[in-house]
Parts: sequence; C-alpha cells; structure tokens
Amino acid sequence: MLPEFDLVMPRSLNEALQVLAAGSPEVLPIAGGTNLTVDMRSGRYEPKVVVDIEKLPELKGIRRENGQICVGGGVTIAELLKDGLVAETAPVLKSACALFANPLIRNRATVGGNLVDGSPAADTAPSLLALDAEIELTSQDGKRRLPLDEFFIHVRKTARQPNELVTALRWALPKPGTGSAFYKLGLRKADAISVVSVAVVLEAEKGVCRKARIALGSVAPRPVRAKNAEEFLTGKLLKKEVFEEAAALTAQAVSPISDVRASAEYRRRMSAVLTRRMLEQAAEQTGWKE
Amino acid sequence: MTGKVFGQPIPRLEDQFLLTGTAKFIDDIEIPGMVHAAFLRSDYAHARIKKIDYSAALKRPGVIAVYTAEDFGDYWRPGPLQVPPPTAIKGSQFNARPLVPIAKDKVRFSGEPLAVVIAESRYIAEDAFDDIIVDLEPLPAVVDLEEAWENKPALVHDDLGTNMAALVKQERGNYEEARAKADVVISRKILVNRNAAAAMENRGFVVNWDEREQEMTVWATTQAPIPLRNTIAARLGLFENQVRVITPFIGGGFGPKIMTSQADDVLLPWIAMKLKRPIKWIEDRRENFLATTSERDQVHYAEIALTKDGVILGVKDVFYHNTGAYDPYGMTVPLNTQTHTISNYRVPSFYTEIRMVFTNQMVVTPVRGAGRPEGVFVMERLMDAAARELNMDPAEIRLKNLLEPNELPLRTGIIGQDFVEGVLDSGNYKANLQKLMEMVEYEKFRKEIQPALRAQGKHVGMGIVCFTEGTAVGPYEGARVTIGGNGKVSVATGISTQGQGHFTVFAQIVAEQLGVKAEDVNVVTGDTAHFHWGAGTFASRGAAVAGTAIYNAAVKVREKIFATASKWLEVPPEQIELGDGKVWVKGKPEQFITLGDLAFRANPTRGVIEPGVEPGLEATGYYGPPYGATGAGAVAMIVEIDPETMELKIKRFVIVHDCGTVINPLLLEGQVEGGVSMGIGNAFYEKMVYDENGQLLTASFMDYLMPQATDMPPKIEIGHLTTTSPLNPLGIKGVGEAGAIPTPSAFVQAVEDALFEYQLEIPESNLSPSKIFEYVQKASKKG
Ligand SMILES: Cc1cc2nc3c(=O)[nH]c(=O)nc-3n(C[C@H](O)[C@H](O)[C@H](O)COP(=O)(O)OP(=O)(O)OC[C@H]3O[C@@H](n4cnc5c(N)ncnc54)[C@H](O)[C@@H]3O)c2cc1C
Repeated sequence: MLPEFDLVMPRSLNEALQVLAAGSPEVLPIAGGTNLTVDMRSGRYEPKVVVDIEKLPELKGIRRENGQICVGGGVTIAELLKDGLVAETAPVLKSACALFANPLIRNRATVGGNLVDGSPAADTAPSLLALDAEIELTSQDGKRRLPLDEFFIHVRKTARQPNELVTALRWALPKPGTGSAFYKLGLRKADAISVVSVAVVLEAEKGVCRKARIALGSVAPRPVRAKNAEEFLTGKLLKKEVFEEAAALTAQAVSPISDVRASAEYRRRMSAVLTRRMLEQAAEQTGWKE
Repeated sequence: MTGKVFGQPIPRLEDQFLLTGTAKFIDDIEIPGMVHAAFLRSDYAHARIKKIDYSAALKRPGVIAVYTAEDFGDYWRPGPLQVPPPTAIKGSQFNARPLVPIAKDKVRFSGEPLAVVIAESRYIAEDAFDDIIVDLEPLPAVVDLEEAWENKPALVHDDLGTNMAALVKQERGNYEEARAKADVVISRKILVNRNAAAAMENRGFVVNWDEREQEMTVWATTQAPIPLRNTIAARLGLFENQVRVITPFIGGGFGPKIMTSQADDVLLPWIAMKLKRPIKWIEDRRENFLATTSERDQVHYAEIALTKDGVILGVKDVFYHNTGAYDPYGMTVPLNTQTHTISNYRVPSFYTEIRMVFTNQMVVTPVRGAGRPEGVFVMERLMDAAARELNMDPAEIRLKNLLEPNELPLRTGIIGQDFVEGVLDSGNYKANLQKLMEMVEYEKFRKEIQPALRAQGKHVGMGIVCFTEGTAVGPYEGARVTIGGNGKVSVATGISTQGQGHFTVFAQIVAEQLGVKAEDVNVVTGDTAHFHWGAGTFASRGAAVAGTAIYNAAVKVREKIFATASKWLEVPPEQIELGDGKVWVKGKPEQFITLGDLAFRANPTRGVIEPGVEPGLEATGYYGPPYGATGAGAVAMIVEIDPETMELKIKRFVIVHDCGTVINPLLLEGQVEGGVSMGIGNAFYEKMVYDENGQLLTASFMDYLMPQATDMPPKIEIGHLTTTSPLNPLGIKGVGEAGAIPTPSAFVQAVEDALFEYQLEIPESNLSPSKIFEYVQKASKKG
C-alpha cells in the first residue's frame, strides 16, 4: 500500500523547480512512476511530497539541435521506440527500448526516470553511454551538463542533486562509418531484468577502428564502460582476433555479483561473449568487410 | 461416449462473464460498515517473541482494534490438522504440528503473522504497523533438509525434541534381493526445487456476522468451501447452517487455496463477532509469496537395479521432504511422490522412504502436481542414467519397462494420499509412448534431423519421458440437479471453481442426460447454501468425482422425468421421448409437455402425491470412488541451446495424454496447455529461493519469474488416447495436473541431449542459463 504523501502538480518547469528548490530528499519528482510507486509501496522511499513532472512540456520532445540529438528528460520509452530520428541516428538506443519491459510500462516509463533511478540494470544506460551522451540537469540555479559516464556513481547513487531535474540528454549525430549493436540477456523474452546487457558503438574508416564505445549493464554497481577494451580497439583493424581480445578485456572491466538470476562467473563470461558478438555486428554495419 | 453436447468442443459458458469484466471477484464485495484487516508479519524466520506493544497503534485515527495471539485467549489454538496421516501404513511415524493462526511465543517462518490490525481502511491498517513495537530475539534458522533431519542447527518445535515430521517406509517385493541379482546398480542424488502456485488472484476473505439473524456469511477464495465452513462453525460453536461460505469467481487456485485454519479464516470471524462489523482482507502479492503455502523441495537418494539388457529389477528411493514450519496437510505431498515414483513402469521391487522435516520456511502443501512431479522426476532421471550406462536409447529403455494393458489393474503395494493402496486402474502406457514417437518423428529425429543439425553446429536435443497422474481420489462429492419452472436446469455442487471450466463441463454432463441446451444449465459451485456436502477441488478430481455425482443426480432426474411424464401423457415411459426441453409421445410430437410445465406438475400445491414420490424434478447424487483413477501420458520436447550463453528455445513440445473419456476437447486442451506452461515455468523460470536465514529472496514477480506467452513453444502439440476408467460410469480420469508433472523431466533430458558433448548429468529440476553454464563448466573441467 502507498504511504500518505502530498502530490504537487506544477504547470511549468519553473514551478516544479521551485517546489524542489529546498533540495530536501523528502521531496521527489515523479515521471512515469514505474519505479517510484513500486519503491513507495515497498517502503524503500517515503517522500512527504511528490512532484508530478510527467506532463511538463519542457521535458518533452526529440529534436535535432546544433549537430546533436536532444531528447527531453520526460520522453517515454515508447516515444523513443517509435521516433524516426532515434531509429536513424541512434539505432542502439532503439534496440534497447524494444527490449525494455513491456508495452504498458514503455508507455509510462521515461528515460529520465530510468537514469535517475540509478539501477545498474537500467536498460537505456548502456546505449546512452555508448553514444557518449551528455545529461542536462536543471535547478533554480541554472543548468549544467555532464557526460553521462560521470552521472552514475553507485547503486541508486547518481550525481543528481535533490533540487535538480533531468531536462535533456544529448548526443552527437553519427559519423559515416558508424556501426552499433545492443543485446539484453534476460531470463524471459519480455519484462525481465537484464542479467547482462551490452551496447557497442564503433566508428571505423576502411576497417580501422577510429573510436569504440563498449558499455554494459548489470555487471557492476553502476552501468559501466569497458574503457580498457575501447582503448585497445582504437586504431586496430576490425577482425575476429581483435574482437576476442577486446571481449577478454571487457570481462576484466566488470565486477559482477551473484544473485538469484545468475552467478558472477556467468555474468563475467557473458560480458565477454556478448561484447564479442556485438562488436562483430557493429563492425559489419560500418560497411567494411574483412 | 460422445453425444449431442457431451464430448463436444463447446466454448466456455463462464467466459461471457470473465471476458467482459462482469464476473464478481472477492475484492468486488462491499458491505456497509465494512472494515479492513492487515497482518503484521515477522521479518525473521525463527525467533522468540519477547514483546509486542501495540498501544500506540490504537491511538491512530481510524484504527479500530489490534490483536496478538494473547488477545484471543482460549480461542487461540493450533489446527485442526486439515489432512490426517493415513493410519494404514504400518510403522509410519507422524508428528502432528498443525498451523497456528498467529504466532505465539515463537515465530517459525518469515511472514508468520504477529498481529492483526483492524481499521477503517487498509491504508490506515498498514500505516499502523509503524506504531507497533515488536521485540524478537532471532534464533538460528533451519533451512537445509538434511541438517534439519539431524536436528541442526535448531529445533523448529522445541517441545517435540526433533525436527522429524514423519518417517514412512513402504516396500513392495524385496529391493535388497533384487539388487543382489542385478547386473548394474545406479545411485544418484536428485533435487527437486521449490515453486509457488502464483495464482493470478491472491487469497481473500470477507466475513459478515449478522447479529440479528445470528448468521455468518463468508466470502473466500477457497478450494474447499465446505470444510472451511465446518471448521469455522466448529471453532465458534455455531451450527454448520449458521455459517454460509460463498466462493465468488476465483482467479486460479493450483492447490494452496485449499488451506484452512490460517490467520484469516480463524481470526477474522471471531473478530467480526466481537466488533459486529464486516471485515475484508485481501492478500497482497508479497504476503502470497511469504505466507501462502507452496511446494516441491525434496532431496532424493535414489537407486535403480537392472539387468544388463535394461530390465528393471528394483528401485530404492530415500528422500527428504520439506514440510516447512508446520504439517497441517499431513503427508499428502510425499505420499504422492511415493505413489508416482515407479508409476507406469514394471518394477518388481520398490523401497521408498519419506523423511519429512520441519524447517523455518513457509508450509508446504500441494501445488499443481503435488508430489507427483518429484516422483516422476526421480524415476525419469534414473531411467536416463540407466540408458546412458547401458548404452541404450532413452525411448527404448522406457518401452522395454512400461507396463502392458493386460497387467492392469495393478495393485501397487504402496499406500497413497487417499489412505488406500494405489491401483493402476486402466491405461495403455506403451501406446502413449508409441504414439508420441510417431508424432515427434522419433526415428527420423535421431537418425536424420539431429545429426544434420549437429553437423551445422547447432545444439538441438530431445527429452522424452513418461508419467502417470493419480487423479479423482475420494472421499466423495455430491450434487443436486433441479429442473425449474422456467424449464431450465440448475445444478449445485459442493466443490468450488477457480477457472477450470466447471460451469461448462458440468452443464454438458447434465444437458446430455436431460435433453436441454448446455446454456440452459446453470451451475452453482462452492456456495454452502446451495449444496453443503463435499470435500473440495484438489487432486484433479472435479470432473471425475463431482462430475460423476452430477451425472448420477441427472440420471435420477431423467428417470423422474419419464415417470412423471408417463403419468401426464398417459403412455408407458418407453413411449416417451425427451429432447429440446420437452417430453412428447413417440411419433406424436403434438402431444408434448415442456420440462418447465412438468416441473410444476411434479410439485403440486393441492391434491395428493403418490406415496414414496418426492416432489419436484429434482435429485441428489453422490459419488465416492474406492480409489483414484490414473491418467497417463508421455512428453517429448526439442530444445535448441545457444552453447555460449545457454539461452534456450523450445522448438517443439509434444504431449500424448490419456484421461479416459473426454467431456470437452477444447477445455481439455486448455488444461493440458496450462499444466505444460506451469511445468515449463517450474523447469526454467520459477524458483523460490530461501537464503541461509530462511529469508525468501524471490518474494515478488520481479525475482520470481513466470513464463509468459512469448516464452511458450510455438505450439503445444497434443495427442489423445482414451482408455476409459472402470471406476466411474462415464469412464473419466482427471487431467488438471498432467502437463505440470512430466515437463521438468523432459526439459532436463533435452538440455543434456542438446549439449551432448559435455555428457552432463543434471541432478535438479529447475534450470536457468546460468545454472546450465555452471554444469557445463564443471563438466569441461572434468573432461
Ligand atoms: C513491470 C516493470 C518492468 C520494468 N522493466 C524494465 C526494463 O526492462 N528495463 C529497465 O531499465 N527498467 C525497467 N523497469 C523500471 C522502470 O520502468 C524504468 O526504470 C523507468 O524508465 C523509470 O521511469 P519512470 O518515468 O517511470 O520513473 P519514476 O518512477 O517516475 O521515477 C524514478 C526515479 O527517478 C526520479 N525522476 C524521474 N524523472 C526524473 C527527472 N526528469 N529528473 C530527476 N529525477 C527524476 C524519481 O524521483 C524517482 O526517484 C520496469 C519497471 C516495472 C514496474
């Protein structure tokens, strides 16, 4: 059962930020509510005031902006999934959205809520990390932008201050020769928490890797990048042995736990297997054949 | 047996209510002045209760009352035992520790009620938990079955001096002699994991005590309305007919809803009488996981003795069975395991021993399958091990050892849950397997399909297993069939219904006898004001036992129709025809009487009736079988495994099934498919995990995964054989649990076959990609 709380329904971003201004952890924004209502029922969070930001126009919209894609913090997973711009410029995010929960949840769940929740299993996180996305945080004091990689700290801990809202996410338009791939290994086809998820984005020129991003979910206390593997790949010819080596390096970059879903050893091994497979798929898309 | 209505695939009559959202469920019940109950539950699995102080809670606005065990005075007492142990098994020992309604002195499982709060709303009741000071002194939790048997690390029931709940040894033939003669003896340790019933609707209980009428009405999601009424009445010192139990539509039962003597049905009626207010309690999902019963969790030490050509000489099985913190349901589950282990195979010597232990976990009572999947899993694992050892094909070794029809009926020598020696009444077990092998193209798969796929580097394997399903056990059920003045038929039976389709199949049985349309038969189940004798819905017995009682009543009404019509139409009964809701003189359809009219004439308000004739077109029928009817079948499944991630796809699922006469093929398929999905869930998705402190780690649908439609095979291919049961006039056997029983056995075998190069031997019933990975890792290290 939900505990008692006051619900504030601001009409604008400014009004919302005003309510949050005190920076009290007892005042929480609610977007789709697919995490927060569950957490309030279970007693994990007991906010005195809940601020409904779901309908705020300032958090909506997906658009091109100065050579970047800009997605509002309140955009839902369903909106991302059916958006043409996302499909064209960030297929790796679209794939993640396609495997996210189920259609009902996707209609409510927002990308901002997914990231702020701070779960290592947040399914948009690996793709957004692999896209080198930037997160925009807004408070009454103004806006700041952070690389998403600096946003995640630990399980349920992020760089967001209690008075801030996630207002947008931005990433660069893909360069020619970019390939990407995402895979979510869950225990059920739909509606399952990731056991391991991997997103890969590669930029290549004539088969030589110019930039690599490998990001994983559910294998560390936060969504992580395998920076050692990314560095290793840079400048290398994209081929099987290289992928295998990068996959092995990825397995070293993760620090998984054992739980009811899988053992740590399985997660570590799957980090490598899936990374190798995603690298192969992404490399194919860069338009170069070995 | 197929008639105009009986045996026809008519769509479910209840669906018009269920699919349009007009069906009434328990949470739809509102009574003026109704208050709400919530149970404060223990976080510890094992603890001594030092103090519970709820004085602050009483001050919270909207809180009406709070009770702990002490507040119930003499009314607090354990039990009664819902199912006693069979006395017929010589030398068996059973330590009865029936459920206590609310913990007193000691907590024995995590989720056990400590206090009940009554408030104006459920919100207020739950908020009041924060005001209650609970002082518990944690004790070491008993979780491991074999350690529990050694009374380690603690005693669940201190006064008992042991954690032994039961010890039962049964034997037919002489296993040790058989073993001495055998060429090969194979022993294995085998585990069967624990699953929840996880019905879509949780439990619920609403009670209204009418002080002026001196009558109590209870709405409950129970599978056993009459036993529930009887225990409530007895506890409160009321007559049975002062308590009416009504079951509204129920969203699934699967076993645990048979339980009585729990906090809700013991405490809330007493409180309702004290407060003179109606009370509602609706269980939430977390409560359901923690404190509604569940099943499986056995550890077997099993052994099979064979000749070198694969003929079974004997089987021995000593197993630990977890009964949880109490044993209110007697030994039903492990006894089912004993009767289903050797099931349809010819096993001259069989020794089986139950070591039932108390643990600090939720109580174990039947969940769809109820001990049968465990027995079948153990035997099928032994058969697989034997086939491997003897270099035989898994189908071949099974065909060699399956019983032949001429060996039936066969007394098994093992006493079962119904307290009588098990008898395999009828069946054609070999034909089941042969038909299955045809359907799945067994030879072609082994010789062509599988080798070709393996050559392509694919990991595709098949599991093929056999099973029996003991169904339709006693003691009895009853029903009343009445023709109304409206010319339609009403049927009332004591069992309750949780979605099986009783409203349809029972209507079909009656419609066929009375010459009316199935839609014109109104079935009432589970309302003690309509019918008040019976035992309940369990052990796949609804259609076979209640259905037969209904049939018996319908036949009597049919006779009465002819006798009454004969009087009014003035011709002998042989010259009367019955159909389309009327009777007429053969060859003279213009001389007819409608059944409605006839019903009025059978119940005159003036004049005389003949001596010995009971009024109305009505009859009551009962049926109690001497022992259960045994269904049987065989399952083959083909899986493909990703050899790196161990993700798995079910490519084909084929089941051949024999449940005797089929009342409705459409509903039968639904039952089989439902059972299979539960079996697939048990094998690859659903698992209850308790940690070393007795905490349930999988107490939500986030961690306890049910398979969904997208996880099912593209099609469940079903083949039927019909060997009618000689035990009832319609020849019916039950089918409700069929699919759940063999599926884990087939699943594990298929996984091993797909990953043949590792020569895996998987000793447990619930797998996951990570689990399979672990077994492969172990095997690769060895090899
Ligand atoms: C059945 C089910 C299935 C699910 N399956 C998946 C899945 O497959 N993959 C997955 O990743 N997740 C899944 N989830 C979790 C959840 O749906 C997602 O994390 C979702 O994206 C959360 O978004 P929301 O808008 O509902 O967040 P809310 O619940 O509204 O909020 C979550 C947290 O973020 C804060 N917050 C929300 N928006 C903002 C903002 N703009 N600025 C600052 N703070 C904010 C809230 O205060 C709260 O602390 C599932 C949940 C359910 C119930």
